[in-house]
Amino acid sequence: MTEKNGTKLETIISYILIGGVMLSVIIECFGLLLYYAETGDIVLSFSSEWQLSGDNFFSYSAQLFSSFIGGVSTIRIMALGIVLLMLTPFLRVIASVTYFGLRRDLTYVLITIFVLVVLTLSLAVH
Amino acid sequence: MIPILVAFGVPIEYAIAASMVTIIATSSGSAASYVKERITNIRAAMYLEMFTVTGAITGATITSFIEPRLLYFFFAAFLLTSFYGLRRHVKEEIPKNVTQDRLAKWLNLQGSYYDEALGEEVNYKLTKPALGGVGMFIAGIAAGMLGIGAGAFKVSVHELVLRMPSKVSSTTSNFIIGMTALAGASVYFASGLLYLNLAAPMAIGTTVGALVGSRVLNRFTNVNLRMLFLVTVIFLIAQMLYKGVVA
Repeated sequence: MTEKNGTKLETIISYILIGGVMLSVIIECFGLLLYYAETGDIVLSFSSEWQLSGDNFFSYSAQLFSSFIGGVSTIRIMALGIVLLMLTPFLRVIASVTYFGLRRDLTYVLITIFVLVVLTLSLAVH
Repeated sequence: MIPILVAFGVPIEYAIAASMVTIIATSSGSAASYVKERITNIRAAMYLEMFTVTGAITGATITSFIEPRLLYFFFAAFLLTSFYGLRRHVKEEIPKNVTQDRLAKWLNLQGSYYDEALGEEVNYKLTKPALGGVGMFIAGIAAGMLGIGAGAFKVSVHELVLRMPSKVSSTTSNFIIGMTALAGASVYFASGLLYLNLAAPMAIGTTVGALVGSRVLNRFTNVNLRMLFLVTVIFLIAQMLYKGVVA
């Protein structure tokens, strides 16, 4: 029984992981190529335009997503790739909480919720 | 990865922050296939993550107060401890006669996977999750401080304390590393040390490598895998000591 159910959780998680990573890598490649096409160079300078930073990762992500309505910039495309990458493990924790919840496995619901809360706090509060 | 960047003149804090993001990519990219093949023990991973995530945040927070040179020595020292522990188990394919303690039973910490090299279904039981938790907290601190996955340390804890078979321990630690790295990256995100022009190319390169590596793991025997791991650890110790001295 556990084996069959385990397989289901495992399939969901593996799709989240591979989906998130592939999407992010494709976007990164696209962003880098676009930047290279625009400037003819990839600089390794540490100016603030390259900085991915904020007080709250979730509000940063939301702002980034909505900024694409106003127009596209190559640096924001790269930022999108990294944001999606960072969201991938987060999504897999949410998937696990849901999964153990549906199976009414209280111990593991609590364990996964603990991880989710700590992660959410670390991403949102500074 | 970090030593290479530092050699190119990238400040170590930036290198650490970017490599944290890279670790999310390699971990998730390779974990996908291990999870699907049921080699990764998800329950054990979720339980142990409670400790590593808290550790990683602690580590990433205190890293700004500690001199980088000390970090290298710290890293070398803890790799040395895991090397000694694991050397004793080199010849053991699958841990035998493991008696689960009460907590391990209550947490349902056991599992099975199909081993391609052995050509059979392997059943295993895990034990001492409380001690394992403490070890994983320390691994988390190291990971957050040094911008590494601390995989070598985690694998040692999994095998020496929890008694995981090698393939389960390396894939489960790899799975957990993604989470630890995210927690660490979040701290660097907030402190403004994360740079896109560093993180983006690094993430692309390492993801491709991880996808290739994860296709071949199950064809190795556990003994060969552990040998490979020990060689890597020796290399890492030498590298970190060298960096610590010249830093």
